[in-house]
Amino acid sequence: MWSYVIRRVLQMIPTLFGVMLLLFILFNWVGGDPSYILAGKSLSDETLASIRAQLGLDQSLPAQFLIFVKQVLTLDFGTSWVTQQPVSETIASRIVPSLTLMTAWLVTSTVLAISIAGLVAYFRASLLDRTVTMISTVAMSVSVLVYIILGQYFLAYRLQLFPVLGWSDNLWTNLTTYVPLPLILGLAVSLAPDVRFYRSCFLEEMNHDYVRTARAKGLSERSVMVRHVMRNAMIPIVTQLMMYLPFMIVGALLLERFFGIPGMGREVLLSVERSDFPMIKAITIYIVMAIMVFNLLADLVYHWLDPRVQLK
Amino acid sequence: MKNMTAFISAMCVAMSPLAAVAADMEKTLDVAFVTYPTGYDPAKVSDAYSIAINSNIFDPMVTYDYLARPATLIPNTIEAMPTITNDGKTYTIKIRPGIYFSADPIFGGTPRELTAADYIYSIKRHLDPTINSPWSYLVDGKFVGAEEMVAAANGGALDYDAEIEGLRALDTYTLEINLTATNYNFMYVLATDAFGAVAREVIEGYVDNTNAHPVGTGPYILKEGETSSVIELVANPDYREMTFDFAADPANPISVQAAADMAGKQLPVIGNVRVHVIEEEQPVWLSFLNGELDYTGIPQPALREALVINPDDPLDVRLADEFVAQGMTLQRQKALEVTYTYFNMNDPVVGGYEPQQIALRRAIALAWPINETIARIRRGQAVPVQYVVPEGVAGHNPNFVGQTGYDPAKANALLDAAGYAIGADGFRTQPDGSPLSIEFATGTSAIDREWNEFYQQAFDSIKVKLTFKEGQWSELAKESMEGTLQMWGLAWGADYPDGDNFMQLLYGPNTGDANAAGFDQPDYNRMYEESILLPNGPERQALYDQMNEIVVGYQPWIFGDVRVGSTISHPNVKGLVVHPILNSAWRYVDLVE
Repeated sequence: MWSYVIRRVLQMIPTLFGVMLLLFILFNWVGGDPSYILAGKSLSDETLASIRAQLGLDQSLPAQFLIFVKQVLTLDFGTSWVTQQPVSETIASRIVPSLTLMTAWLVTSTVLAISIAGLVAYFRASLLDRTVTMISTVAMSVSVLVYIILGQYFLAYRLQLFPVLGWSDNLWTNLTTYVPLPLILGLAVSLAPDVRFYRSCFLEEMNHDYVRTARAKGLSERSVMVRHVMRNAMIPIVTQLMMYLPFMIVGALLLERFFGIPGMGREVLLSVERSDFPMIKAITIYIVMAIMVFNLLADLVYHWLDPRVQLK
Repeated sequence: MKNMTAFISAMCVAMSPLAAVAADMEKTLDVAFVTYPTGYDPAKVSDAYSIAINSNIFDPMVTYDYLARPATLIPNTIEAMPTITNDGKTYTIKIRPGIYFSADPIFGGTPRELTAADYIYSIKRHLDPTINSPWSYLVDGKFVGAEEMVAAANGGALDYDAEIEGLRALDTYTLEINLTATNYNFMYVLATDAFGAVAREVIEGYVDNTNAHPVGTGPYILKEGETSSVIELVANPDYREMTFDFAADPANPISVQAAADMAGKQLPVIGNVRVHVIEEEQPVWLSFLNGELDYTGIPQPALREALVINPDDPLDVRLADEFVAQGMTLQRQKALEVTYTYFNMNDPVVGGYEPQQIALRRAIALAWPINETIARIRRGQAVPVQYVVPEGVAGHNPNFVGQTGYDPAKANALLDAAGYAIGADGFRTQPDGSPLSIEFATGTSAIDREWNEFYQQAFDSIKVKLTFKEGQWSELAKESMEGTLQMWGLAWGADYPDGDNFMQLLYGPNTGDANAAGFDQPDYNRMYEESILLPNGPERQALYDQMNEIVVGYQPWIFGDVRVGSTISHPNVKGLVVHPILNSAWRYVDLVE
């Protein structure tokens, strides 16, 4: 297994290089010239040239790319072009609120979705199954913005069940006061597609011969579902989870904007609006690294769940 | 940064040698910004949100009378308005003794008094090539000897110890400014918050991150910075003694009430200010209704809920009964701005100064449905621009009508007469028979698309082919400066309430800078040069009128609109009077249960 892991880690190097090259080309092609934003109303040639020199934009493109490579190798992306604050400091301050919300969301959503999906799959074709399927279909056709706007208006403003928005420096206060409403609305968005997907995973496994065999052997339904069906159904579920995990870094843009959560989602949007390349570079590289690591992790989990999966 | 700011705040209180804070530390004012400030170094930031914070931390030499309208300059940290001699070229200014910077570890526990040298240093920073101040355009070339000083720096840092004739400290408290040209209105520039005093040792002590260490002489100090969704300010315990003694504007009942409520109170009254960063309009409005914000601008989607708007005159509004019953107060304020769509005067199709070329621009202006865009996009909360200098700015003429009026029939007749014939494809051609197609620069947001529908409608009505060039603002700004765009819509907000700040937008030598249209008309240029030598008065006004006639005649701009903002406050907020320039006058406000 270790040789597999080492081989995959080595494969990450050219992948990362490719992403860096693509990001660099894209930014220089369509990223905008930040000197015009930083100059404000002082748009003289001298000021613009001086800003470009300070940002290193007067250097040749290969030289700029080499600086980028060095930044990735040292994971030091310098300072933001706009705020002049260290990129690492900004990301460190923004990632905690995003992870607080996203972890709560992902854990709750996964536990609920797997439980509901397992239940309705077990009672397939029953009234419960049909009701859940219908509710899921309706819930999936409603835009996320509708959930947020209506949820905030009725639950926070009209019924006063939650604060309209807010965030504090205290984790417990955040989890008990400020996270619940965005979490509920996030669940309203994510639960329906997850339940439908996981239900189909369970149903597919339940129709296999080995399930019939297990039942014929006299195993209890609980044992069949938990030990056999769920274990095999977990492979596509793990795949989906591993796809979600890297994006926890960027948070939930709309939820953060509407609920005043100072997370990464807002920072990503601001960085793009302001052509703040150091921030964009750092966030993109961290996401790519996370995707690669979680992909590797997914493969290892497949092997753990089903030893027939070979790590080659 | 969070730990550092907390440490500095604690040190400020502990080391304060003059601790005599008058503010009630139990009171907290809650307001909202729609985005984060970019930083707190006055020479490095120019976004409205950073300025709003900085204006409470740093002190420019002069400020605006809180209640006087139109906006009127008054001394801030100086004893009296400056003595202006030498034909408007020499300003002699006496700094008031006994004003101190807020305590900071960098001062080593010693009270640090504000001096003339601090203002010289603070002004010079805007000329420093290594700082790239977004405000440098206000002072470039203005001071005797400054250009030589900047040239000597050769792109590096200025030699701040080198004295120049343009900025001299005659003694600890006396500052002499020598300008290169007559300018009776220069104090408007120095009233800009960007020219608030910083201490050299603070800037040099935190040179790696000056944006995160604001230390000034203003009424508040920064407690919590950018890392949170709430920016917190606390009253500066070292703030000089200052009482509310402004005379009310008798024409404004809110101003009269504020003067009565606040008279004699020591400023700042409120000990804490929390600025919540809320990007979306709904949560801003709901937070205000929930009492989580003390006052707010009314977001567009909430206008119909909050206001009763006269359908025949959308500017005739009053607060909805539901809010009146709760004791809330509405204030309205026209922005000190002009919006306009410019034609690139150097473009072979839409530019030029010949009658045929003017006819094309005039026709497009005549096809522009300004009243409809105000009704539909601005929801009635704007007025058409009629003069290059907007209302509330010295040099405005309320009797001048600069709009062409909406008349597509006349526009078509004008184009027919000018030789822009309709071709086989149904679109007009140029007078020489070549195809006529105009490219309009635009952003990519939903509101941009809304505007573009009206542009399309206007061009269709005169049968002129229109295409859109979409791009990010920074890219379009670059192309605009290089003179490669044909048309683009822009806005200019007042840096200071004097007409010069607006009339320079069409001054020929400012092409490629503030003059995006590249308008370069000799008579306009000559009159502008004459106008800057004059103080505000009938002589300058006559010049401004003639210059506006030239603008209307040559049509380098389609005049746009001026937005009218609505601010609503809870009944416990006292002293709040919306000011056209001071956009975060928290020091003048009180909260009374």
